[in-house]
Amino acid sequence: MSTRKTQMSTRQAVVATATAFFRVDVIEEANYPISFAMRLLGVVAPLIPFFFISKLVGNSPEVGGDYLTFTVIGLAMTALLTAAMVGFGNTLQQSFQRGTMETFLIEPVPWTAIPLAMNQWQVMNGLIYTVLLMGAGWVLGAHYQLGGVGAAILIALLGITAGLAIGIVSAAVLLLTLKSTPVIRIYDIAASLLAGSLFSVAQLPGWAQALSVVLPHTYVINGVRTALMADPGSYEISLTRAVVSLGVFDVVVFAFGIWLWRRTLEYSRKIGLLGGY
Amino acid sequence: MSSTGGYARIVVDELTKVYEPSPLWMRALVRTNIKEPVHALNGVSFTVGTGEIVAVVGPNGAGKTTTFKILVGLTTPTAGSASVMGFDSIRESVEVRRSIGWMPGDHRSLLMRHSVIENLRFHGRLQGMSGQPLIRKIRETLEMVGLERRARSNGFSLSAGMLARLQLARALLHDPEILILDEPTGAVDPVAAHDLIQLIKEIVAERGMAALISSHRLEEIETLDSRVLLLDHGRIRYDGRLDELRRIWDKPTLQIGFRSTASADAAAQTLKEAGFASVSRKDGSVTFPLESGVSHADVLARLRGQIEDMTDLSESHRPLQTVLAELYRTDPEGSEGGGPTGAQPGNSGQVSPVSRRERARPADLRGDEGAADPASVEGGEEVER
Repeated sequence: MSTRKTQMSTRQAVVATATAFFRVDVIEEANYPISFAMRLLGVVAPLIPFFFISKLVGNSPEVGGDYLTFTVIGLAMTALLTAAMVGFGNTLQQSFQRGTMETFLIEPVPWTAIPLAMNQWQVMNGLIYTVLLMGAGWVLGAHYQLGGVGAAILIALLGITAGLAIGIVSAAVLLLTLKSTPVIRIYDIAASLLAGSLFSVAQLPGWAQALSVVLPHTYVINGVRTALMADPGSYEISLTRAVVSLGVFDVVVFAFGIWLWRRTLEYSRKIGLLGGY
Repeated sequence: MSSTGGYARIVVDELTKVYEPSPLWMRALVRTNIKEPVHALNGVSFTVGTGEIVAVVGPNGAGKTTTFKILVGLTTPTAGSASVMGFDSIRESVEVRRSIGWMPGDHRSLLMRHSVIENLRFHGRLQGMSGQPLIRKIRETLEMVGLERRARSNGFSLSAGMLARLQLARALLHDPEILILDEPTGAVDPVAAHDLIQLIKEIVAERGMAALISSHRLEEIETLDSRVLLLDHGRIRYDGRLDELRRIWDKPTLQIGFRSTASADAAAQTLKEAGFASVSRKDGSVTFPLESGVSHADVLARLRGQIEDMTDLSESHRPLQTVLAELYRTDPEGSEGGGPTGAQPGNSGQVSPVSRRERARPADLRGDEGAADPASVEGGEEVER
C-alpha cells in the first residue's frame, strides 16, 4: 500500500483497473435500488407466460418432454450471453455520453484492460439474472439434473467468454462509429432464434440449422440442456462437443476481439477520435 | 533547459499534426466528417520548466486541444515529438499518464452519481494507490482545494465551482509533476474562477510543478501573470510574458486636457504636423494613440508651446482582448500588409519588439531619415517606462 504511484506491473494495473471499475459500478447500482429491483422483475416476469404455455405444449418429445425446463434454460442462458455481449457496448456508450471515457483513457492503465473492467458488473448482472431465472423456474416446476451442474457451469463460463469476445468486437466498432448496439441487438435476437432458446433447433429449416452451428449460443443453450435435463429433446449436443466448440470459439474470437480493440484504439488515436466524443 | 532556464519537464519539438480523412471505404463507418486534410499543428516547439505556468491561448481551431491531446497520449503527432518528464508521449504513454495531472474543462468527466471521495478513490486506485494511505491522501487533497466539508456529497449536488475544485483535486491526488488544465474554469463564475486560478498558482509554485493551462478567459490569463503561448492556425504566434506582449502590442491612448478649445486646436495641429496619427479633438481635449517607442516626454517636447495651457494628461490602455484580436487579425507571416505586428513565425514565434517599435514611431521622432536605431528606441522606452 502506498500513497505514491509506484511503477505498477501489468498484472497489478489490470487488478487495480478491475477493482476500481467494479467498485464504482456496484456503488452506482446501490444508489438506485428500485431501478435494480425493477430490472430483476423485468427479467423474471417473462417466465410467467411460458409457465402457462408449457401447460398447453405438454410433454412434446421435441423439448424432452418438459417444455418449462427446456424454456427456462433457454431464457437463462440467453440472458447470460446477452449481458456479456452487450454489456461493454452499453457501458462504453454510456461513458461517451457522460463524458467520462476521456478520463479513463488518461489513467495509466493498459487500454486493453478497460473493456473487461467496464464489463464486470454487466457480467455479474447476467449471472444474477441466470440464477434468478433458474430459481424462479424451479419454483414454477422446472427440473434440473444436479449431477450436471458442474458441466453446466463450465459451459456457462465458456459462454460468458464467448459473449465477452463478441462484445469486444462490437465495442471496437462502436469506438469508431459511436453506434453499434443496434447491430449486436439484431445479432442477439437472431442468435436466440437460431440457437433454439424457446424451441428445438431440430424444428428449424435445414439452412437455419446450418447457420445455428456457427453460433456460440447454440452450444451454450443446448449444452446446458444436455447437462441439466434428463432428456434434452430432439436436438442434442454432447457435452464434449459443446465444450470443445466453445473453447475454440473463445480462443479465436477473444484474441481477435482484443487485437481489433487495440487496432481500433490506435486508429482512433491517430485520427483524433479519442477524447472527442 | 526550458525557455525560462529551469529543467524542461515538457518538451515539444516541431510538433505537427495533420488530421487525414479516412479512406473512402471507411467513411460510412467512421464518425468523422473530415474530407480534406486538416493541419491542426504546424511545427510547434516549446518547453515548460519546473515551477513554470504557461498559458496557451488561441481562437477555436488554433491547436490548443490537439497539443494537449498529444501530450496526454490521446492522439499521435504526424511529425515531431513531445515528451513529458523525459518520457515520449507516444512510446511511453503509460509513464507520461502517470506523470500528468489532467483537468478537462468539462465536469462531465467526473463520476457525477458518486461522492467526492469515491471520485478520488477511483482515480487513486487507477494510479496505483490504495488503502489507508490513499484515504489520507484524499483527505489532504480535499483540504488543499477546500472541499473537505463536501467529501460525502454527490457530484450532482455540487456547484460548478466545487466541481472544478474536485477536478483539480483529482488532477493533484497522485502528486503529478505536470499539470495540464484544459479550460479549467469554463463553467465557473468569475469570482470562483479567479480563486481557482490563484489556488492553481499557489500549488504549482509550492510543489514546483510545471503547468500548461488553456483558457478563453483573458482576465484569467492576466491573473496568471505567466508566460503566454499564442497559437493560431497550428503555429505559435507569440511565446513570452504577457506584460511584454502588451508592451509590444498595446497602443495606449493619450488624452491631454487644455484650458481652452483654441489651445486644444493648436496642440492637435502641432501633433499632426509632427506625424502623430489619428489625432482627435473634443471640446478642450486632444486624444491620440501613443505608438510604441513614443514617450510622454516626446509628446510634451512637441507641445512645449502649449504646456502652460494643459490641465491634465492621462493614458488609457486597451483591453487585452482588443490587443489579441488585433494580433490575430494580422498576417502570421509578418508581411507589411499585415498590420503593425512584426510577429515572426518559427523560432518559438517570438514577436520582434524592435521592428514593431521602429516601424510605429512617428517619422520625425525616428531620427535622420527615419533610420532604425534599436538602441535609441530601446533607450527612449526605458527612460519613459
